[in-house]
Amino acid sequence: MSWVRWIAVILVCGWLGQYPLAMLVPHLIMERLYNKVGDRTGYNQMYVNTRPDETFRNVVRPSPDLLYALCVYNLEQGAVVINAPVPERYWSMQFYQMNTDNFAGISNQREQHTRVGTQVEVTLVGPDANPAEYSGEVIQSPTERGVMLLRASAIGDESQARTALEGSSCQQQLKFVST
Amino acid sequence: MTSKGNTFFNRLRVLRWPLAVLLVAALSVFLLQGALKTGLRESFLRNGDWRTSESIGAADADAVVRAIVAIGGLLGSTREESMYYTLNSVAGEPLRLNCRYRIEGSDYDANWWSITAYGWDFYLIPNQEKRYSYNNENLIRGEDGRWVIRVGVSEQEGNWLPVGPSGTLAETNSMAHDFDLLLRLYTPGNAYLQHPESAPLPTVIKEACS
Repeated sequence: MSWVRWIAVILVCGWLGQYPLAMLVPHLIMERLYNKVGDRTGYNQMYVNTRPDETFRNVVRPSPDLLYALCVYNLEQGAVVINAPVPERYWSMQFYQMNTDNFAGISNQREQHTRVGTQVEVTLVGPDANPAEYSGEVIQSPTERGVMLLRASAIGDESQARTALEGSSCQQQLKFVST
Repeated sequence: MTSKGNTFFNRLRVLRWPLAVLLVAALSVFLLQGALKTGLRESFLRNGDWRTSESIGAADADAVVRAIVAIGGLLGSTREESMYYTLNSVAGEPLRLNCRYRIEGSDYDANWWSITAYGWDFYLIPNQEKRYSYNNENLIRGEDGRWVIRVGVSEQEGNWLPVGPSGTLAETNSMAHDFDLLLRLYTPGNAYLQHPESAPLPTVIKEACS
């Protein structure tokens, strides 16, 4: 192969290579977050963050007006159940798959305002599960791993938001085996 | 050609494929960096000096938008939940620490909204006041409900949003700007959902530079 051909191959492959690389970037960043939080707090567990300030480095662009809690989930061993009391001020529960897509979410806004004061219980099931086999509010994750993020308004008095997040849980669904 | 020259080319011939892989990877990274910068200009909508994307967090986001969001706005919600407008330059001039800026606005159709300053590293900017943002509730307003936020390194009267060096080493900064502003609109109204490029937003003005 001549050197001219060799250089041409590099240029073409380099140009084409930027596209799979762009697709890889979200996965790499999400993977880093997933492992960082999972190693620190465990998987399928709720982790309530301190109010964001300049030392907050878990996620880029944290809002200082919100309190966050997150659960890095793994559905390989079965469904995960998330329980959360819904405070009066802004609150939301968002689900992200490993390519960063925000594939599902619930909140206390608009038509869901009736959730205020209630306890939300969501069963999060994996991509191969049959949601019809579960009762209550069921969300199907397109991937077995992902991140669930709770946001609660900390504007003014943050105590309501903190109580709501600290009273939330994320845990593997117990399996009952008949004998 | 001398035998020394032949040896060099023979060695290069042996290494040409490993070398090619390295060059392809380096070229891909270089081109992607350019694509991300161009993408920010071309894939994001403009509303004055503010930029936003309708596909943040959405399944229909293209690879470049998704990569930009992962780098500078991971775990952003879809627009029905919240809309994010960023501003890193005024009239084409990147935001600088040696300049003072004024943000003017009123109220916006959303459950709540806030304006936050971030360092070029996308994290909150260290400052003694521990003040990183203003929201629709904590602003000092005029009688007509309008407000002004002053952005700069030195203390200013009224709503002062302090900025300064980012927490990350300045030597690693590859951005043109020193900091940027992010407007969050949670549960935005129809004007933002249907016409994000023309919906009302605060105005940012550069006052002076030293």
